Amino acid sequence: MEDCPLQVTHLGKVFRRRLGLSSFKAVDSVDFRMSGGEIMGFLGPNGAGKTTTIKCILGLLKPFSGSITLWGEHPGSAKVRRRIGYVPENPDYEDLFTPLELLTMFASMRRLDTGRDRMMAILSRVGLSSWETVRLKNFSKGMRQRVSLALALQSEPDLLIMDEPTGGLDPTARKEFRDIILEENERGASVFLSSHLLSEVETVCRRAVILARGKKVVEGDMEELLRTEDRYSIRYRLAHGGIEEEKEVEVGEESLQSSIDDLRSRGVFIIRIAPVYRSLEDVFLSATGGGGE
Amino acid sequence: MRPVMTFALMTLRSLLRRRTIWGISIVILIALVGIGQVPGYGVSNQGRFMLDFGLFGLEIGTLLLAIGLASNIYPRDRERKTVMPIIAVPLSRGQYLMGRFVGAALVQAAAMLAGCLGLMVILMLNEHAIPPDLFPATGLLIVEGWFLLAVVFFFSFWTSPPLNAPLTILLFIVSQMSVSGFVGLLPTAPGIMRTLRLLLPHMDVFHIKDPIAHGMDVPGLYFLLAMVYGLSYMVFMLAVALAVFRKRDLK
Repeated sequence: MEDCPLQVTHLGKVFRRRLGLSSFKAVDSVDFRMSGGEIMGFLGPNGAGKTTTIKCILGLLKPFSGSITLWGEHPGSAKVRRRIGYVPENPDYEDLFTPLELLTMFASMRRLDTGRDRMMAILSRVGLSSWETVRLKNFSKGMRQRVSLALALQSEPDLLIMDEPTGGLDPTARKEFRDIILEENERGASVFLSSHLLSEVETVCRRAVILARGKKVVEGDMEELLRTEDRYSIRYRLAHGGIEEEKEVEVGEESLQSSIDDLRSRGVFIIRIAPVYRSLEDVFLSATGGGGE
Repeated sequence: MRPVMTFALMTLRSLLRRRTIWGISIVILIALVGIGQVPGYGVSNQGRFMLDFGLFGLEIGTLLLAIGLASNIYPRDRERKTVMPIIAVPLSRGQYLMGRFVGAALVQAAAMLAGCLGLMVILMLNEHAIPPDLFPATGLLIVEGWFLLAVVFFFSFWTSPPLNAPLTILLFIVSQMSVSGFVGLLPTAPGIMRTLRLLLPHMDVFHIKDPIAHGMDVPGLYFLLAMVYGLSYMVFMLAVALAVFRKRDLK
């Protein structure tokens, strides 16, 4: 089970409303599996059920159907909680505390070393070393997000669960967050990243799951998802009366061989033949139908 | 134990940094100043009057403190979503409840002791004897306050703060009624009302201002049994609150 930090099987979550007279299916038979050391992107439009799924994984919501296991254990168990770090969407911690106080208290609650040097090292890593004595009520949204990341990192988690961690951050901070995600992954942590920023997911994730209206619509390796099944681009060099010109043509798989033969017969030099990749945005829009809710 | 105590300390510091506790302190101070004015009105049996009035203030104070301290803790944590990262990672729901409860209970006990000390100072300044049972009587009120805190936490897991306060006050009033008085609320169902009254705590056991004000001795065993009774109810109430909290989805 060590190589499977997270397995979600036929997860369903129904919210009852108006004294149980009506209900709303937020997540419907979602399943996926994470491998150890993987960075998995979790995508979907607003209302797709991403945060609900994450809360089920964390044991904050009880699944209506299906099951979730983390390293083979139930979510919310003490053993599991010790191994995860969580960066919530729009974190709002006790704002009467300073980040140093908060970090120290969280470390103590997790039975970790509460030494000042260690706390300062974590704050420094998230760019808050000069803000250690300022109360959180004076912090911007982005700075609170950094505090949240510091709290998640302090236990050197085996699984980092991040729900829209870079929402509200400026591009520099977003890059710093991305770098930290990659550093943590290099350390050996698996990362489960829910984000609206597709470029971010495309950059750091090796696999992605896309939800729409509570259901899983796409799952796969990033390479597979982005690659169009039957399109190739051929880049070639053409000589015209002493002038060389580079051109590119996109062809289907069925006509690839004939196109190459044709180009060769015309005496052109083929520089590269490569599969055509789509952007994650294209994948996302085609999988979700382009709409939210 | 360390996670719970750390969270209790966090709760304590958070409550002390909020305005609520200072508002309650000002009310206690005003009440003490009010008691200190009694001699100016030429009341006979001043000492007895001051003790009676002071202990009554502490009885009401314990209720107001419980509501003021705890009714908003969980709803605030939920509204601001601070409860999510705490329960998701470092603490279980039981540890969260215990940490919040112990933190609030410490503030409540400190405020009650401050009130008791204030009453003693007022009595001394007016050259009245301090009854030896004043401290144990305050101890009983602290235990009552802890029970009320558990009640407030229980209500806060399934009601809103505006509903929490009246429900707690209602329980406070009803729990001091005699069996016959309680049955009188619904005379058509005396059996049910009598059973219900047996299940509800008898908070009148914590209120011993009358014998103290009249200089009567209260046996030590009474204090002991009353404390055990109050603490047992408190544990029961916390267990019920935890059972409700465990079933709650944290949306």
